[in-house]
Amino acid sequence: MIAVSIDIGSTWTKGAVFRRDGQGLTLDRRIAVPTTTDDLSRAFSRVLDGLVDGGDAASRVRRGEVRLSYSSSAKGGLAVAALGLVPEITLESARVAAYSAGAKVTRVFSYRLTRSDIRSLEAAPPDILLFAGGTDGGHVDSILANAEALARSSLDCSIVYAGNRALADDISDLLAGKDLVQVPNVLPSINAPDPDPAREAIRKIFLSKIVKGKGLDVIVGETGVEPLPTPYSVYEFAKLISARVPGWSDFILLDMGGATTDVYSAHRERPAPGTILRGLPEPEVKRTVEGDLGLRVSAEAASDALKGLVADALDRREERIAAFADYIARVSAAPDYLPEDEDGQAFDAILAGACVAEACGRHAGRAAEVYTPEGKLKLQTGRDLTGVTRVIGSGGWLSRTASFDPSPWFRRMGVDNRGRAVLLPSEISYFRDEHYVFPLLANVARDFPEEAAKAGIDMLVAQQ
Amino acid sequence: MSDVDTIAVAKANTLPGMTSLPGEDPAMTATVVLGVIGADCHAVGNKILENVFAVAGFTVVNLGVMVSQDEFIDAAIETGAKAILVSSIYGHGEIDCAGFRDRCIERGLDDILLYAGGNLVIGKQDFAEVEAKFLAMGFDRVFPSTVDLSVPTSLLRQDLGRRAAFGGGK
Repeated sequence: MIAVSIDIGSTWTKGAVFRRDGQGLTLDRRIAVPTTTDDLSRAFSRVLDGLVDGGDAASRVRRGEVRLSYSSSAKGGLAVAALGLVPEITLESARVAAYSAGAKVTRVFSYRLTRSDIRSLEAAPPDILLFAGGTDGGHVDSILANAEALARSSLDCSIVYAGNRALADDISDLLAGKDLVQVPNVLPSINAPDPDPAREAIRKIFLSKIVKGKGLDVIVGETGVEPLPTPYSVYEFAKLISARVPGWSDFILLDMGGATTDVYSAHRERPAPGTILRGLPEPEVKRTVEGDLGLRVSAEAASDALKGLVADALDRREERIAAFADYIARVSAAPDYLPEDEDGQAFDAILAGACVAEACGRHAGRAAEVYTPEGKLKLQTGRDLTGVTRVIGSGGWLSRTASFDPSPWFRRMGVDNRGRAVLLPSEISYFRDEHYVFPLLANVARDFPEEAAKAGIDMLVAQQ
Repeated sequence: MSDVDTIAVAKANTLPGMTSLPGEDPAMTATVVLGVIGADCHAVGNKILENVFAVAGFTVVNLGVMVSQDEFIDAAIETGAKAILVSSIYGHGEIDCAGFRDRCIERGLDDILLYAGGNLVIGKQDFAEVEAKFLAMGFDRVFPSTVDLSVPTSLLRQDLGRRAAFGGGK
């Protein structure tokens, strides 16, 4: 049996054939062609035909002779605006749900929507508005006010209501004219987040709306197989590896591209004695996306956000810092640029290291030491990744660069600007997804979970 | 403080005629946010309070120990709580609770009931003084650590009933 997996990215459409023999999967062949953004099906067909021998690949998929699975991160993913009540509570719950669904969170709103919030949403509507707020039976007024403001607006994106269930009927009435989906609350009670129903709703909207146009519907028609958003698929894959591969229950997965840096971590919180956990409980697998951290399209924004880290890496030498700024200005206008000179490669390595450090720093939790009459205690918010010693690098630059080691970059994070320890590991084993097969194996995992999870780890290259 | 003193305090905190107010309805299931404030990590009393208020019919959102003012307020906003019950046993309650009412008002919780209880100050101060101090800080009710817990549950029911009867505001 062969399994064909294709990932439609914003620049490249990549595919691979995996052969299943005995209990394992082996990589047979890979193809990548430029994505045809006006009609995604053209590049997709070229890849599919190139991977399946004997012609008429789509019919063979339909007849079940070839197992096909595919994903799409077209348009850079689904744009979700998240609306919650308190920033650290229901807005954060909405954000976690949206990220786990493979979305990019383009806007966030808390408390009450203002007239200018509504105007900005109308001017640049997201694909989906994830509308949370209030625990079940909890807050009412601001949520109703937000529903009324949305009802009066001309916003016509999908709205997923995942807030206080006690208001479900009011929300139905108020937003009757909108494209509304109601799901159980992302935070039914204060210590029990429930992101899955909202996540599932976002995935369904991806299928029903985003697939239309741009040729994805043509692919579904020809093959009879539906796509998943790439990060959704990778999130599921991370969950699978954590659950099924011995020794890999806890790990960090980095996926860095030109525009964003995605961080996934699989980790079950086991607080040590003397540690008090505050804030929302963390999911076992968490994804965060940093839209301002990337090597090309986001290089300018990244170098702004990473000034301190970059300057330190350049030993604070003025002329090197100026040369770095020139380099950033050049590459952000040329997304495909690959440096061949030593300087360019060194600058890319510094930008990449700083992006990894910052993205992981934002992803990880914080701890502060507190002196109490009972002695010294650790007050922790978010996830403690200090004991997570396995890190995987995937995606363009990280897949290619054998010399990269994230350890010194993690160590530079130390403490944040509020004096709290950033809970990242200091000593790690680093593994590289050399052939960038993670998104492709993540697709195959739908049909062959056990084999795909094992193959994903087996194909990694351990950093010496 | 002896049991007799506790009852005296309870009586002093009970306004005349309150027993007939509508809030006496034992079925009332108002949400209350509970926690131990500041750098105080005493968890046992907190669990007892959670149980007692839950058995008394309230929906208890227990934030546990080492809770900051903003965490109490955040949780009260999300859950639509009618009261915040702050406990403290390690003697720093006065510092931890300073400005709590003002912060509630700043965050939009103008009408929330604020109760404080426990071993609220350092040393052996007369409870009447402690109570006066906390009332002046904007707390609605103050209890010593020795209070019979049926007293705060009953007073909370009455206070909430009175609010309901008079349409909310303080």
